[in-house]
Amino acid sequence: MEILWAALVLLGLGLLLGLGLAIAAVILHVKEDKRIEEVAKRLPNYNCGSCGYAGCKAMAEAIVNGKETNLRKCKPGKEDVNFKPIIEYLDQNPNEDGSKVNIHL
Amino acid sequence: MQIFISFILAIISSMLIDNVVLSRFYGICPFLGVSRKVNSSLGMGVAVVFVIILATVICWPLYNFVLVPAGIQFMDTVAYILVIASLVQLVGLFIKKYSPSLYKSLGIYLPLITTNCAVLGVAQSNTDQGLSFLSSLANGIGTSIGFLLIIVAFSCIRVRLESANTPKALKGLPIALFTAAIMAIAFMGLQGLFSGIQL
Repeated sequence: MEILWAALVLLGLGLLLGLGLAIAAVILHVKEDKRIEEVAKRLPNYNCGSCGYAGCKAMAEAIVNGKETNLRKCKPGKEDVNFKPIIEYLDQNPNEDGSKVNIHL
Repeated sequence: MQIFISFILAIISSMLIDNVVLSRFYGICPFLGVSRKVNSSLGMGVAVVFVIILATVICWPLYNFVLVPAGIQFMDTVAYILVIASLVQLVGLFIKKYSPSLYKSLGIYLPLITTNCAVLGVAQSNTDQGLSFLSSLANGIGTSIGFLLIIVAFSCIRVRLESANTPKALKGLPIALFTAAIMAIAFMGLQGLFSGIQL
């Protein structure tokens, strides 16, 4: 009987808190460039920091915002696996004003 | 009046005498990790204050009005973790929206407030000691403000240490650990602060 109560109470608590968080996520939503996520996915995601940024997400942000033009700064990245897909992706998805993201190898 | 005085005394006692970081050794991870800059340590401290006070306010009724009547007191830790994790998520969303620079400087340490043992420690020790709601609240406020106080003081010292002429072998974290030890010894001097007060 106890185990049933435990499961029920925790289930109810989880549902309640989850619902609250879902509402909060809608209210506190921050608009983010979708391409940052996509570029970060194509980086090695070791978060080694050898590019000089605090993790792959930070480098992806810099690439998309045009602050970082040299993909080679990513030391563990490989040309076929990482760099070419990123260039290809950013070619297909230019900035909102139509200009291309400036990157090279 | 009596209640008010003991409330204030309880806050000061859990803030200074039983300081979480320096005498109970909770929350060492953010204490060492986010104390390199005063600004980010202040942000971390305030986030922890928010999470601890809210966690105390939610966990006390949760334990006494839900877990005890259902006879499942043994689930308290699990229920508390659930509450704390959601609160941290909420704080994360909030900071991301209103202070992106703080969000960046806190980095991985923000979601790690979930595993900050100070937060769970407060909720757990309130339950273990069977404190009333008011005493729990005093304990929560005192503990969290104590954490804020210590992490900001520590980061101020660390900023000064950066430019100090420390021996090469001690640069960075080693001298910070020494500093923490000396601070802990200094706070031992506050033991017995209330020994003359009768309540």
